[in-house]
Amino acid sequence: MATSFKQIEENLKTEAGKLLDAGKVSMVLAYGRGYDEKHPLPYVARSLADVDGMVFNEYCTANLARYLVRYPRGTKIGIAAKAADSRAVIQLIQEDKVKRDDLVILGIPVYGMKNAKTDEAIDAKTTCGLYNPVIYDVLLGEEVHGQPVLSPYEVLEKVEAMGQDERFAFWKKELDRCIRCYACRKACPMCYCDPCFIDQNKPKWGEKSPETGGNLMYHLTRFHHLAGRCIDCGECSRACPVDIPLYLFHKKVAKECEEMFGQAAGMSIDEKPALINFRVEDSDKILE
Amino acid sequence: MSFEPKILGIACNWCTYTGADLAGTTRLQYPQNLRVVRVMCSSRINPSFIFKAFQLGADGVLVGGCHPGDCHYNTGNLYARRRLAVTKKILEFSGMEPGRFRVEWISASEGNKFAEVVREFTEEIRNLGPQTKFKIS
Repeated sequence: MATSFKQIEENLKTEAGKLLDAGKVSMVLAYGRGYDEKHPLPYVARSLADVDGMVFNEYCTANLARYLVRYPRGTKIGIAAKAADSRAVIQLIQEDKVKRDDLVILGIPVYGMKNAKTDEAIDAKTTCGLYNPVIYDVLLGEEVHGQPVLSPYEVLEKVEAMGQDERFAFWKKELDRCIRCYACRKACPMCYCDPCFIDQNKPKWGEKSPETGGNLMYHLTRFHHLAGRCIDCGECSRACPVDIPLYLFHKKVAKECEEMFGQAAGMSIDEKPALINFRVEDSDKILE
Repeated sequence: MSFEPKILGIACNWCTYTGADLAGTTRLQYPQNLRVVRVMCSSRINPSFIFKAFQLGADGVLVGGCHPGDCHYNTGNLYARRRLAVTKKILEFSGMEPGRFRVEWISASEGNKFAEVVREFTEEIRNLGPQTKFKIS
């Protein structure tokens, strides 16, 4: 039986309070109240008094690993991490963006998260479907037992079965709706480039106005940049104001990377990201 | 008028470009549809080059590098192999015909292979017809 959200919130407050009180961290990243219960905001607690503002409920989907790279290296940070967030933290450690020693990871085993927009349960359809954090120092609640009902790549079958032209029409229809608000980039814990390639003027990789060519360039290159790094939290598609199913493409790329290189992103701090690594015995077959 | 494909060739300085040079000096015939860009190593290739080429109207992209293990910089093409494999999968999943993008390992002494690959690839693109999916009109 999974620990209730209320219980996790209590545990989160206690543990965060302990850490801040002992001076082990200078801030704790967690969730705070938004304008209503359905829209919690990322929240930074810097002192014991701030801890009361924390909340945790089924709509706390935002990936807090996004905010780790904002602070100078060496800042001691406590972070509340759900399953996907913990994978993002591992991936950031692999990429040497943060150091393991600087982090205190408060793992949250989570079951029954909901999408604030549609009120649907968030499961392996749009995310990796894991329940328990992969890495943590303190676990706030009991581990969730059992396997996800779906395998994370099952949703791909429909798109994979399409013919080339049909699939292009599908993606064109989806990506043409993009209004280039860059919410996907802002929500993504792995998108930390400054400046992003699409903001560069020399060379200008793609049109910045929302039109077919620029949209295609932006999204395809973003999928490529996240290849072997995307930890499948699905936050990009939840952040998207026009509901483009970006998770489908990310899942496909993640699946191919897993098949070709034999490793999933963000599962172990000892690995290197797939695309900045190689094996001499990689087969040429992957290019066919 | 019959369709003449425009093909972008991205060739590594040490192997494929020298191989192309050899094909030229030994006077081998190959189609003129290939426009070659020279880069210092196949791992120099940013995947956006390939997307951009398709957007600017290329009908096919051919990438040439050293054979794995022969790289002038020791490991460049081993990174490139992984990266370009992902590029290929992304192009495929976005709905582009998989035949339009190809990676070949051609060493400096393989002028014959270079001419053969270009001939074969041009023929393949000719059969596929003009690339309209990514092209910005």
